[in-house]
Amino acid sequence: MKRILLIVIAAMMVPLLAMAKKDDVISYQVEGAGTGAQGTYLVKTTVVTKNKNISDELIGRSAVHGVLFKGFSNADTRQHQKPLAGSPTVEQEHIDFFSAFFADGGDYINYVQVISNSRTVVKAGKEYKVSATVTVSKDQLRKDLENNGIIKGLNSGF
Amino acid sequence: MKKIFALLSLLLMLPMTASAQAKKPTLMIFPADVWMTEHNYMDEVDVQGRKKRVPRYEDAFQTDRDINNVIAKVGELMTERGMNLESLQEMTRGIDENAAVDEFVESSSSGASLAESAYDRIMNTAKADIRIYIDWKVNVTGPRRSVTYTLTGRDAYTGKQIANASGTGQPSISAETAVLLEEAVLENMDQFTSQLQAHFDDLLTNGREIAVQVRLFDNGSGLSFEEEYDGEELSEIIDNWMNENTVNHRYSLKSSSATRLEFNQVRIPLYDERGRAMDAKRFMSQLRKFLKAAPYNIISKDNTRGLGLGIIVLGEK
Repeated sequence: MKRILLIVIAAMMVPLLAMAKKDDVISYQVEGAGTGAQGTYLVKTTVVTKNKNISDELIGRSAVHGVLFKGFSNADTRQHQKPLAGSPTVEQEHIDFFSAFFADGGDYINYVQVISNSRTVVKAGKEYKVSATVTVSKDQLRKDLENNGIIKGLNSGF
Repeated sequence: MKKIFALLSLLLMLPMTASAQAKKPTLMIFPADVWMTEHNYMDEVDVQGRKKRVPRYEDAFQTDRDINNVIAKVGELMTERGMNLESLQEMTRGIDENAAVDEFVESSSSGASLAESAYDRIMNTAKADIRIYIDWKVNVTGPRRSVTYTLTGRDAYTGKQIANASGTGQPSISAETAVLLEEAVLENMDQFTSQLQAHFDDLLTNGREIAVQVRLFDNGSGLSFEEEYDGEELSEIIDNWMNENTVNHRYSLKSSSATRLEFNQVRIPLYDERGRAMDAKRFMSQLRKFLKAAPYNIISKDNTRGLGLGIIVLGEK
């Protein structure tokens, strides 16, 4: 009887745990952090979260998502880059692809690297703002998305 | 036997599929005129009483390391994106070599040398579809230096600006000019290529844009655009031809008189029926053939300028 109760409780907790993980990132911001090495963007990614020990993967995921669909800028360095995917609607148009791409352990992880020792944590009310400088391999990301037919290249149609 | 036949059919189809593949636009990178002037790479020549500056590109390539670095970097990034790049340096060298060889070519009977006007020389120059102009300036404020950088893409057919990226990089005390320039190129290329992409999308959908002029020789033949053929004026006949031969019937009759017809925003197909890249000259050649045939029997001279301004003069060759 106890076993059944434990299994039921565990089964009830699974969605709660999943939700908690999903809710780790409440919102995020991406801004330019200077000129990266050739083929990369250097961005500062700030994640608003209730968990100050958020993983590097989640920060990286926010960085790739921001670079792809939001673009980024920086008033101090006068940097401005448009979204790599061209438009935010591309995510909805290829929802199947991007659901798998941004899933836990998804392919996004291949294009991102969080710079070590760049993480800062600021408490803001009941939440935390966790920031880190991230390198996004934008050339490789663009090439792979072009090869998958998600975005158009300069070559498309010729 | 069937296998051989199938193989032969496949072999015969290969060139057809190859020609169906559309050609990519070619790019050529130029130092901007203002950069050439500031660095004393311009000659002043007298053209019918007016002073005109003419760039000495080869001098710039042979003596300025920065221009070579910047062009190489932009070229590398464009090639990485799969674009075809033509080298201005190689092209100017080729023109000089051809001109040197031509000086020794003469007719075996009369001894006459090749006739090449200044106009021919101009026609000899860049035929890339898109010209990219690069300009930069090093700003010095005390010990800090920064680079202001401008990249402009122009459609060689219309001269219209199709992409632009500019900005001033972060000031630095220690970085060398070459590093500042590389940063400027890397920072601006994505913005530039996204605008280029929009232009290519437009080309593929709506065709290439050119301007067209049809004029008459004043030779006393009495030919005018008001002359009628089967109840239709010549100007209407040419207008109808433009309507039928432009992409999605997109063109605009800018002006029409008894002696001159001008069309602009003329959208021509990217390729002709043989799969060759279409430019103003090929488009005008089709119009000339149409007018030369019965019932019009009008001969004409092609005076097309560059890639994007088609001019024909009716009445003589």
